[in-house]
Amino acid sequence: MESITVTFKLNGKTTAVAIEPLESLRTVLREHLHLHATKAGCGQGGCGSCTVLVNGEPVLSCLMLAALADGQEITTLEGIGTPQHMHPLQAAFFDRFAAQCGYCSPGMIMAAKALLDKNPHPNRAEIAEALAGNLCRCTGYVTILDAIEDVVTQMQEA
Amino acid sequence: MNADLFIPRSLDEALSVVQTHGAGLLVMGGGTMMMAHINEGIFFPQKVMSLARAGLSGVYRNGHTQIGATTHLAEVSQIADYPILAEAAYQIGGPAIRNMGTIGGNLYMPQPAGDLAVPLLVYDAHVELASPSGSRTVSLEDFLAEPRSHRGVHELLVAVHLPNPSGHTAYLKLGRREANTPSVVAVGVRIVMDRQGLVNEARIALGASGPFAFRAKNAEAALIGQSLNTKSIADTAQIAMEESNPFTDALATAWYRRRMVGVFVKRTLEQLTK
Repeated sequence: MESITVTFKLNGKTTAVAIEPLESLRTVLREHLHLHATKAGCGQGGCGSCTVLVNGEPVLSCLMLAALADGQEITTLEGIGTPQHMHPLQAAFFDRFAAQCGYCSPGMIMAAKALLDKNPHPNRAEIAEALAGNLCRCTGYVTILDAIEDVVTQMQEA
Repeated sequence: MNADLFIPRSLDEALSVVQTHGAGLLVMGGGTMMMAHINEGIFFPQKVMSLARAGLSGVYRNGHTQIGATTHLAEVSQIADYPILAEAAYQIGGPAIRNMGTIGGNLYMPQPAGDLAVPLLVYDAHVELASPSGSRTVSLEDFLAEPRSHRGVHELLVAVHLPNPSGHTAYLKLGRREANTPSVVAVGVRIVMDRQGLVNEARIALGASGPFAFRAKNAEAALIGQSLNTKSIADTAQIAMEESNPFTDALATAWYRRRMVGVFVKRTLEQLTK
């Protein structure tokens, strides 16, 4: 087996990593680079918990060949905030109790970030459409939509 | 996972991979189906080629419309002059899946996935297939009906060609929920009327209603020369139901799918009367 080296910008930092040819981006993020915010849920494109941004667009890292990350810009949840300096979406999820078990939160937040970066003033229906590929089995989605709406309101006021 | 991965930078490069490794090669468009199978451990391909960097993406207009094979569903969902193609693309998956899945890959999806075949049949699409020895263009209808086991990887789907659209169209997909789900059934229709308000040309395409997406030609024929009214619509829906050959899977039974073919052919045609 031949490993291949891919180089990409990960959360703003140029990163080179040796991978096996058919490894998914999700496996490389979690098992090679030890970034565990991106979750390994279904592995089938059904749950959205592995959502990351590639050049600003949401993709499912479990279905993406890591080899195709070469030369791209990858953003994971670790890249948008820290416990001390949370991204407004992270703070809103915290304030609104939008995470119960928390497994879907990284994917939800990345999908929401992709939306807000393109459309800073989405209505509730547009937010729901942007999250259509992300499952949550705890919250019933209400608090998640509330949290994202809070951020939209904050951005309008700012 | 011991495997060779090829990421060609051009169609020529891709075709030379096909020539050398064709027999045991797995081709990926966006990988949304194949990566899921690999993650699941359903198969362990030895040789994989991703077409993601082969320069086969983009929508071109030159008398007709050409959509490159690796054009993402997200981009297909923006093609305003083929409204039911755009709509069908938008109804697939969620935003992330649409940023990955491709129009070409979608046409290789086994039923009940592969919704795009339905609007593409409605628009009389052709597909362009390239091989190391040349290329051919076949109707989508013939392409879908070709037995897959005989296809092998001796050619690559490089583009979808669409004539300029005419008539009125409607598309409806029934799923178990609103997003990110395969079809229970998917129905697309296109009707061209003459000056008397009689149907001159009809296309009725059914997805998840047989071994592959197909045109319900008996139902189409029954509409020719008719006006769109309660009776002609009900008769057409009945014939489409009889023409369908659906299957049972985890989403729905064949019995239910057949009935939904009738319901959704009726609803799509009713949309055209409004």
